[in-house]
Amino acid sequence: MKIHVAVVVAMLIAAMPARALAQSNLPSKLPPIQITGAGQLYPIAVSGLKDLGGDDAHNVSRVFDTTLTRDLKLSSFFRIIDSQAYIEDPQTSGYDIGQFNFGDWRSINAEFLVKGAVTRHAGKVKVEALLFDVGEQRRMMGKRFTGKSDEVSEMARRFADAVLEAVTGKRGPFTTKLAFVSTRGGRFKEIYTSWLDGGMLYRVTDNPTINLFPSFDRSTQHLLYLSYKTLRPELYLVDLSQGVERHIAPPLGMAVGGTLTPDGRIVGAFARGGRTNLYLLDQSGNQIRTLTDNGAINVSPSVCSDGSQLAFTSDRSGNPQIYVMNMTGGEARRLTYQGDYNTAPAFSPDCKKIAYENRSSGIINIFVINLNGGGARQLTNEGFNEWPTWSPDGRYLAFSSTREGDSRIYLMLAADGRVIAPLTRGEGNATNPSWSWWLGD
Amino acid sequence: MLRIRHGHGGSVIELSKIVREVGLAAAILAIALAGCSSKKPPPGAGEGGLGSNPSGLGQEGMSGAGGSSLSQFQKGQLGSGEQGPLSDIHFDYNDYTVRQQDTEIMHSNADWLQKNPDRHVQIEGHCDERGSEEYNIALGAKRAQAAKEYLQTLGVAGDRMSTISYGKELPLCTDHTEDCWAENRRDHFALTE
Repeated sequence: MKIHVAVVVAMLIAAMPARALAQSNLPSKLPPIQITGAGQLYPIAVSGLKDLGGDDAHNVSRVFDTTLTRDLKLSSFFRIIDSQAYIEDPQTSGYDIGQFNFGDWRSINAEFLVKGAVTRHAGKVKVEALLFDVGEQRRMMGKRFTGKSDEVSEMARRFADAVLEAVTGKRGPFTTKLAFVSTRGGRFKEIYTSWLDGGMLYRVTDNPTINLFPSFDRSTQHLLYLSYKTLRPELYLVDLSQGVERHIAPPLGMAVGGTLTPDGRIVGAFARGGRTNLYLLDQSGNQIRTLTDNGAINVSPSVCSDGSQLAFTSDRSGNPQIYVMNMTGGEARRLTYQGDYNTAPAFSPDCKKIAYENRSSGIINIFVINLNGGGARQLTNEGFNEWPTWSPDGRYLAFSSTREGDSRIYLMLAADGRVIAPLTRGEGNATNPSWSWWLGD
Repeated sequence: MLRIRHGHGGSVIELSKIVREVGLAAAILAIALAGCSSKKPPPGAGEGGLGSNPSGLGQEGMSGAGGSSLSQFQKGQLGSGEQGPLSDIHFDYNDYTVRQQDTEIMHSNADWLQKNPDRHVQIEGHCDERGSEEYNIALGAKRAQAAKEYLQTLGVAGDRMSTISYGKELPLCTDHTEDCWAENRRDHFALTE
């Protein structure tokens, strides 16, 4: 018998900003999702956690099942079999192999089954969750989690990542955060973060101006953004766990934008005399290196996950195109030649592809191109589609789109552009999504 | 848990300080609203979050023509006030050269600045809604710089002029039409103290 014991460090990190900065009036309930464009889906049953003591009214089970079900739907690999069809009651049947009847699950056409158990004592919750292959009558994977009552949804996200890994061979992206810009609640653009599935929406900025371009470092502890809160555009580096931020102000001109490298350094775009160039800075804003140095516009930096290469937008050819260069410096190589307006590049986590936005005939769409310049493919074709960002597993892209009127963040499969679901709903315009690495990695 | 330690000094803003400032601002707001001290400030008026700056409205001593476009936007008055003594100029799509038809405006702006040598101007570059935000901030910087250099050739001292770009963030017109985009592709000249 092999059971992985997961220490839930990520939950502590994730919960920290909310505690440090408190006073959030944002809804903690997950908004409903409508999955579109479903393809071939594995039918899976999520049976509920057996109460081994203390889970009065099955609250832990309900939170765990709700989050797990939502994440498995968002993955676009699974169809959740309606619990009305379940024959077995999780409270009266066993939860491990030999203690329940696979026939009860085969008869409702479940290919996979999640069962488990929960104990709750003195504010401490222990969850054991197991994944079964119904056809082969085999246990595929199991996890044990220990934490507080408000950490149950994080346990479910971690388990969802593991289910995807067990079934597809590749870990899921659910223990990640999205940062984005939203005008919800007013006219001003503020920075928010939430779990990918919409849980724990948290407002990072609060000023009556314009805040743009959030990006995380690998630890998801730091977030860089551009703000006009002093009435001039400037970069700020937030330490989310400490609740403090640093004003990044090297003597390089007016801040235009920037991103964080995986190890937490800054690539900033600064304009002086009409020229906008890219610089590598340390976390205090001290210049380490000049990355570009010409009279053109050089903006929208994206660093690949191993920190070796930089993609950016430059109009040095006369119109904006995507370029790639080494982070150590040297010449930049032009990547895009199709169309006369290509911006907002985003390196895939394997550093082999770049997603970007292309404007042609007045329409803006997301494209993906190989790093060798070949294989450019259009992924979207509805509304204006902007600012792509990759999931750390490389399977998904989040982007903003006006396909339903107001700008919202959508999730799609990077392989074929199939849109899975909007990740934000109504409540103003949501733009500039930025996907974190896995929390706790 | 992974923690990266920062050095001392620099411009780290402590949360406690922010909380104090927000608290003070909230108190002032409460007094202004004639004794609603038991109520929380409304959403968007400083409830948590970093960098709260509720007192930042219209700061920086902008004057004439209602100040900078951003402070007008904060007050919900962007584009609703009169132009002031200096007129906007406009640009072609994805271009930053001062157009032939705007040379008269630039001469008139330069004349006013020559006659009022104690006044400083902040030149704002703006773009239309098409294209990514970051590229447009850089394009706006080019537009502001182009006007500054033009005014310098007409004899206005460079140290009386500063530049800023708002990219596509502060449109005067929000329809998705060519006329609207053309109106938004502009340099605005905001007088400062």
